[in-house]
Amino acid sequence: MIRAPMLASAVADWVGSLDVPWDVYAERARRFEIQLNGNRVEFVRGPLRLEGYGVRILTAVDGQTGVGFQASADFTPQGTRAAVETARAAAKFNRFPARQPELPATNAGAPTSPKILDPELWSDPARALDEEAAALLGSIDAQLLPPPTFATIRATLIETSIANSRGLAAAYAHTVVDREVAVKSEGGPEGRPPGEFWLEHLGRRIRLENLDAQVRDWYRFAADARRAVAPTTGETTVVLPPEVLSGILPPVLGFQFSGSALLRGMAVPRDTMVGTDTMDVTDDGVLDWAVRSSPVDDEGSAQRVRRVVSQGRSEEPFTDVLHANAVGTAPSGNAVRVGRGFSDEYWRKFTRRPVPGASTIILAPGDGGSDAELIEQVEDGIWVQQFGWANPDPVSGTFGGEVRIGYRIRRGRLAEPVRGGTVGGAVITRDGRPSVLNGVQAAGSAATLYGTLRSPTLVVKSLTVSGEA
Amino acid sequence: MAGDLRDHESDILGQLKRIGARTSFVEAFAQRTRGETVSVDSKSQSVAGNPELIGVAFRAWGGTRWVESATVGIEPPVLASVADELLKRLAKNEVVGDPPGTSATASITADSPQSRPMRDMGSERALAWATEVHKWIAGEPSIGFGVTSLVWTEEERYYLNSAGADCFQRLDRVLANVFTVAVENGRSESCFESIGRIGGQEALGAITQEKVHTVCGVARSLLKTKAPPKGKMTVILDPGLTSTFVHESFGHGTEADQFLRNRSYLQPLLGKTLGPGSLTMVDDGTVPGGWGTMRFDDEGHPTQRTPLVEGGRFVGALHDRTTAAAFGTKATGNTRRSDFLSQPYVRMTNTLLEPGDWSYEELVEEARNGIVLERWMSGIEDPLGGRMQLKARAGHVIENGEVTDLVSSLVLSGSVLEFLRDIRGIGSAQYEDRSPGVCGKGHSDPLPVGGGGTYLLSSAVVGPA
Repeated sequence: MIRAPMLASAVADWVGSLDVPWDVYAERARRFEIQLNGNRVEFVRGPLRLEGYGVRILTAVDGQTGVGFQASADFTPQGTRAAVETARAAAKFNRFPARQPELPATNAGAPTSPKILDPELWSDPARALDEEAAALLGSIDAQLLPPPTFATIRATLIETSIANSRGLAAAYAHTVVDREVAVKSEGGPEGRPPGEFWLEHLGRRIRLENLDAQVRDWYRFAADARRAVAPTTGETTVVLPPEVLSGILPPVLGFQFSGSALLRGMAVPRDTMVGTDTMDVTDDGVLDWAVRSSPVDDEGSAQRVRRVVSQGRSEEPFTDVLHANAVGTAPSGNAVRVGRGFSDEYWRKFTRRPVPGASTIILAPGDGGSDAELIEQVEDGIWVQQFGWANPDPVSGTFGGEVRIGYRIRRGRLAEPVRGGTVGGAVITRDGRPSVLNGVQAAGSAATLYGTLRSPTLVVKSLTVSGEA
Repeated sequence: MAGDLRDHESDILGQLKRIGARTSFVEAFAQRTRGETVSVDSKSQSVAGNPELIGVAFRAWGGTRWVESATVGIEPPVLASVADELLKRLAKNEVVGDPPGTSATASITADSPQSRPMRDMGSERALAWATEVHKWIAGEPSIGFGVTSLVWTEEERYYLNSAGADCFQRLDRVLANVFTVAVENGRSESCFESIGRIGGQEALGAITQEKVHTVCGVARSLLKTKAPPKGKMTVILDPGLTSTFVHESFGHGTEADQFLRNRSYLQPLLGKTLGPGSLTMVDDGTVPGGWGTMRFDDEGHPTQRTPLVEGGRFVGALHDRTTAAAFGTKATGNTRRSDFLSQPYVRMTNTLLEPGDWSYEELVEEARNGIVLERWMSGIEDPLGGRMQLKARAGHVIENGEVTDLVSSLVLSGSVLEFLRDIRGIGSAQYEDRSPGVCGKGHSDPLPVGGGGTYLLSSAVVGPA
């Protein structure tokens, strides 16, 4: 096991004299990147080094909490002192409706330690990247396929540490790998533009599982995009695999079940029927290899598994310390600091304050069998393989995007490829209107982790399809 | 920290000299940022300093590829350490020849202070401004939640290279956003108004009570709207949607690094007519106050106005030094890094559609039946496939040449080339798009981009979102 140093302690030494609750979240990160243009390496980057910390100070103001926060990359005594003073000065302007929030203590429970560090990557990141790029090109070459139009693999190695005024001292090391690969298909049919499949994948390990099979699929999708046609307009049964659902469910459920939404009157009320009566949804902060798993959340509370939906009914919200106190519940270990988005979501987190958020959303598998068996149950519908972007709207709970590649389902079999047109609808509703969650006709028997979702493939009985005809 | 990045010039040049002994070309990009974020919502208020981050990246030509290392910090030992790491990388490659393209050699300084810098506003006044705007929201019926936020940043970007370029610029950005949510019977709908400018306190004047009232009204109205019509139809894009179309659907295909990858549907069409003679689209990094405006890019080349489409013909692409060399042209000042930890790529700055000669009423009359898409939310590119996807918060149905019902959020899809071919009218009024856009290169490296446009009449597939 690789232990992360307590970088936060260095800062905590300077904060510790304060007579108010405080915490420090520190991050030391290295990133390495390799970029391919065809089968040629065009750019090698790294190490890209970043070290920093965020200091949070909680003061009582007018029966509420003034939350002061300042991030800094200056670890000198002067720099640390300046950050603390700035945070303290800001606290007096700030108001949050929590009374006496209690930060997690040293003995906040024995945290589970999920697998979140790839030892091969950690030991020699530059070499691991070189080898993974070579493996990708080797697999493509062995299958006699043309080189990718481009590929980028980014590996980030992070040491995270958290300390606070109640004696908490947590530290862990972890790895995050994100990759983009674009592959192209040219040739017939005559006059059609090239087809492309553009993969984005986020995980914790440098090696992509079942690489050869995945490569084969990417090129098949690219080839099928060339001969694909737009879908026809109407209300249609739509089959959504986990890689598509991962772009739809976590953003909407992560908001609508959050303490932040609850405090501000936008959350799904507890015990509301939102799914089918067999649907169970949990949030898992300690799932192995998931990008939001860690022993503790981003303010030091032990991560755990909590129920979100049970037999179709909504359960507890996701909370951090402040929101839990404001809404009168216990923190659920869901404090999340979100980086600046895109591929930077999982580092630079010290620059952000914690807010309530989901870890990994888990949809329990059903009894629908394999993907092929699910398709057999559909008389007429569409399998969506990839959206341009599903455009989930956390507030209204809707989504809708253009189909980049999919397949028409006719009489229980995949038929011609589909591209263009849009598929959209509600992800979740509270008044019985049709949605993805209450419209699940069948759920596959196996679940797959993709990004921040672990889910089976879902057959949704009716979503709106807009096409050329 | 007093002074600016130029105080570190000799330290950076010293490391460039060390690295330059092992390669034909090396450059340094240093960046420093600071700022503040203020937000007020119906339950809380917050003021927080944005982190003062300072860092540097060294990029060197490694014979067949670029190699780079970067770090937070700029003190001499830090610079030496990051240079050492780059030298280790270079040791693995035999450096032969010069990098592709022309190295910048100019000295450029863009150091004009804002007349009313945000820094001078102070936390207390910034909070008072946000609180005052929030009161406008609080007085609106059916608005269950609202948040007003104000973010300002002061940024210095400093570029030096072994060919003698020495460029310094200061970019002060201000961003203000009002986000409102109407809640009724378990349904929630939202709307926002935002501005993003290079500028100072004067930019905040664009957030008015009338605009706040409008966004509250839209959110409220969306609770009672019907689903939008679906299928292929005549569409009018509002100026914000048009601007997003120019950037996402067309502009990404003009980034010439995609040409080098044979990954642009537009590459074979250079010189060809794509739309009506009234169609002109440009990328312009010099727009005063533009959200994507800069004086020079991150290879030290001055920014410029680059025509992409003129008179309906596809005439130009965006280049860095490498693509300019490959296609026998000049760099267009479009090389951008998101920050010192991010890679330099060919990127857009401010992308605009120039006005045509149709009034809004004439466009609606010409459309006869269809939909006006309003209030952009997002777009995504498809540089090889040439598809487009734009999301609008709302729309208005057009029936018999009249604007009628409001409809809820919708997504537009189709072939970009067909959309351009089918343009039937371009609005005559130019609207500056003050909405601050954030653009990624693929799934990474977000940075600020600006835009502008007008109403645009064509046809596409529309569905709910």
